[in-house]
Amino acid sequence: MKAVIFNGAKEGDLTIKAIEKDVASQLTKEKWEVEPIELRNMHISNCVGCFGCWVKTPGTCVIDDEGQETTRKAIQSDLLVWLTPVTFGGYSSELKKALDRIIPILLPYFQSYHGQIHHKLRYKKYPKILVIGVQEPGDDYEETFMSLVGRNMLNFRPPVYAASVFQRDKNPESIPAFVEEQLKKVEVIS
Amino acid sequence: MSQPRNVLLLIGSPRGERSNSHAIGKFLVNKLEEKGLVSEEAFVTRSVNTREGTERLLKSVENADVIILATPLYVDSFPSPTIKALELIHEHRKAVLPTKSQLLVTIINSGFPEKEHMDIAVKIIRNFAQASNFKWGGGIRVGWGMALNSEPLNEKKGMTRKLTAGLSLASVNLSEGQPMSEEAEKLASTLFVPLFVAKTMTRLFGNRNWNNLAKENNANGKMYDRPYEFNLQGEDTQSVPRGKSETQNKASLQENKEYWRKI
Repeated sequence: MKAVIFNGAKEGDLTIKAIEKDVASQLTKEKWEVEPIELRNMHISNCVGCFGCWVKTPGTCVIDDEGQETTRKAIQSDLLVWLTPVTFGGYSSELKKALDRIIPILLPYFQSYHGQIHHKLRYKKYPKILVIGVQEPGDDYEETFMSLVGRNMLNFRPPVYAASVFQRDKNPESIPAFVEEQLKKVEVIS
Repeated sequence: MSQPRNVLLLIGSPRGERSNSHAIGKFLVNKLEEKGLVSEEAFVTRSVNTREGTERLLKSVENADVIILATPLYVDSFPSPTIKALELIHEHRKAVLPTKSQLLVTIINSGFPEKEHMDIAVKIIRNFAQASNFKWGGGIRVGWGMALNSEPLNEKKGMTRKLTAGLSLASVNLSEGQPMSEEAEKLASTLFVPLFVAKTMTRLFGNRNWNNLAKENNANGKMYDRPYEFNLQGEDTQSVPRGKSETQNKASLQENKEYWRKI
């Protein structure tokens, strides 16, 4: 089984690095192959909104850079983990640059899903998704963050997903237990 | 807040002047200019990747009395460069405290007909406004953006009548330094046809439109391709897309690069 971690942290974010390492270590113990990707070090251009990935080269972004690789790795994984500082209730620009480029895993065609219009799925199999946001002390964006993840999941429709917010001022020693709880929620460890 | 004198239109769309974000934002700015405000435009995607661009952007935000952030919806929030701009503006305002009261409003547009797709995005901008010492001026959610076709808005056209009426109302509030009224927000966020009609048309004509666009690019037979799917043997089929040789693949990558250069 293969897990890919999209690390959307800024340089020097020790909390997110510690969470990334712990996710990797707990999964490796369970014989998973884990690939952490530090998105800030990747050459991923911004999505330009051209829809070329839908109507010119269906399924592949027309921008030939590492954004194609991250998308390929995401769809070929069994578990996709998103790590991000909670940014006004949303994702960091680093995580978002990879997510903006991931839309070719969906079809352009519209369908009604849960009473609203969404895009149809392109692939037969999608990875499970785990989203962990790290929130600054004093910020209160958990509700917005969880709602955003919920909406994303209506679009990506993974077989299982979980999302949680970790407070940055929490004792770093609590990270392993926190990570274990999240991995159990996505049913990759028991 | 005293009478605003200038307005900054911040365009979050990577498509710049050729975007719905620009068409809608520009209409509101024109209305504010008619009321005596001086306007400036800034394009987020062109600004945030260079030091000079970022400095110019921060200066423009610092000077403005009213800031209109007009942006498309990307994966339930904003394009990455727009988030980058919010991060940079927030950091800057922590270091250099604002010296005056400034109003921030947002206009978000999406291809989906339901405005609820944009609720979280508005919340994120509102959170940003509060955290960065802006006065929150409200959020407009424009659904079914594809019907606008990035063209300048026309008050007389049925398709944009409600949107333009709402924006005109909003301009009255903003020109007085006040947040948009609920009425303005609601009117500008209302579709020009009943929602069930828009949803049905999206499924019928929207899907047909994708096929027509694919046809123009000779891609109509490939719409359901799964280039990154593992084959039955569990091998990655990506390196050579189905039905293509290595040489053909290189040629199509080159073609992609040329396409990318053109846009």
